[in-house]
Amino acid sequence: MKKMRLILTTFEERTGQAGSYFSHQHLSLAVFLGLLIFSWSSVLNDDMSHGGRGLDQSAFDSMVKFLGKLLGLNSETPPAYLDISLWVSTANLAAETLVMSVLAIWLASVSVIFTVLFTARNIIFGDSALFTSFVFKFIFYMIRFLYLITRAVPELVWAMILVFFLTPGIVPGVVALAIHNFGILGKLTAELIENMDQRSIRSLRINGAGPIQIIFYGVLPNIIPQFLTYMLYRWEVIIRTTVVVGFISAGGLGREFRLFMSWLQYDRVLLILIWYLILVLFVDLVSESMRKIVRS
Amino acid sequence: MKIRTKKQTDNPYKQNYLSGPKILTIVLLIALGVSLNQIPWTEDLVHPGGVESLQLFVGSLSNLDYSPSFLYIAFKASLQTLIFALCGLSLALLIGIPLGIISSGNIGLPKKTGKIIVFLTRIFLAFLRSIHELVWAWFFIAAIGLSPIAAIWALGINYAGILGRIFSDLLSDVPEEPLLSLRSTGASEWQVFLYGRFPMALSDMTSYIFYRFECAIRSSAILSFVGISGLGMQIELALDDVNFGQVWILLIFLCILILLVDQWSNLIRKSLS
Repeated sequence: MKKMRLILTTFEERTGQAGSYFSHQHLSLAVFLGLLIFSWSSVLNDDMSHGGRGLDQSAFDSMVKFLGKLLGLNSETPPAYLDISLWVSTANLAAETLVMSVLAIWLASVSVIFTVLFTARNIIFGDSALFTSFVFKFIFYMIRFLYLITRAVPELVWAMILVFFLTPGIVPGVVALAIHNFGILGKLTAELIENMDQRSIRSLRINGAGPIQIIFYGVLPNIIPQFLTYMLYRWEVIIRTTVVVGFISAGGLGREFRLFMSWLQYDRVLLILIWYLILVLFVDLVSESMRKIVRS
Repeated sequence: MKIRTKKQTDNPYKQNYLSGPKILTIVLLIALGVSLNQIPWTEDLVHPGGVESLQLFVGSLSNLDYSPSFLYIAFKASLQTLIFALCGLSLALLIGIPLGIISSGNIGLPKKTGKIIVFLTRIFLAFLRSIHELVWAWFFIAAIGLSPIAAIWALGINYAGILGRIFSDLLSDVPEEPLLSLRSTGASEWQVFLYGRFPMALSDMTSYIFYRFECAIRSSAILSFVGISGLGMQIELALDDVNFGQVWILLIFLCILILLVDQWSNLIRKSLS
């Protein structure tokens, strides 16, 4: 019996789970499954979904019909994607969308670079802290909170709020995308500084470098390659979202998409969608090749 | 490889001269310059009355709408957002796991047809995740009418594309040595997958699913933009009424919901890693 208990305790120590076999992993899984069942049952019983409209045969038929409309079948005029001039005019919008995404990622990255140093735990707290004043501790929590809020609110909601202040066009979309990605990029970069090799900081400090010198010669060179990779990764996400933000901020492909959806001109929508996919593919390819450059 | 190292020793300064990050920085700076040029700087960036509405927006922080009836609306909207996120995620799992397994290309498909199937699945997954969930949602609503099912389909399809891609990466990145021991006992490729690859990748997969759960909440909040009930729709309604006190409350609800899910998923991911 004693031996048995010994085996059990060592097993618990090894797995790091205290006491019972019913760990909080199991609890989480149970809660998750319970929530899932609750969600599906409430959706299927909801009045709006008419007990599962959208899962039956008629929904399938209407989807096929919608696909026909997208392709411009059964219409008197030839579909938009056969008209070269429309391709060109949509290309301008695609370029505008691309510009929006580039500006957004730049705005986000620059504001992250200026704030992220104050949000790394190893720079503000602990023995090897570079800035020890309590003012910096205050700034640390302020910016961390800012990252949290900007990250939690989706870019579309930021855009909805921003069009109240900014003239519709490129700018509100860019700012909305930048605000949201500022939070994400900031959190990722702060973790980067916290997890980087601390020896370079220490050796610079031993050799008598001041905080500014440590940042420029110890911290930044260490994180910049990975930071650029994160930038490119976020850029790929941003290009997909720019269209959506354009619905609200009235910039780029999103504006036209919204208009033609409301005018039920689905063949024009398809043309915009094709340009959208081209844009996404282009950005993915560029970002992939740039990441290879960074790694080399 | 040998040639490369020789080159480096020949000319040690060459690599410093134009290293990868430097080229990239220059390219990105040029892109920034061209893009900045496109902003209409001459026009007013802040529209007339913009400053006042900003003041009103910030000022209404002291004027929040605490009335129980509105708090109930906000709570209900948060619940709906959570429900759509969960349903969408589960649909994404139903589609994404099989497609991810197929596109990982390690389940012993016949050589030639297998390659074609893997390639087609990858293209399909890329297509699914290229289009934003809101665009999908709009298409589904245009096709089948305003119904929560449309939102769930939209979330499910987009997330299936993302999950499928990540799952296939995780499944092909497992360490090879344990698989070798399975193979040496005569297991077929399918059995190696079932008893080796899948169990080994499972904890990473679960961890990623919970990370996506957090993203799904955010996505389902904005899906309301196309008319599906939830937090985003309430935010839009409150903004249309210029009722900033309500907007703040709804934003706080959204932040709390996301924070709770964030903490939960962090807890699970830490215990899994």
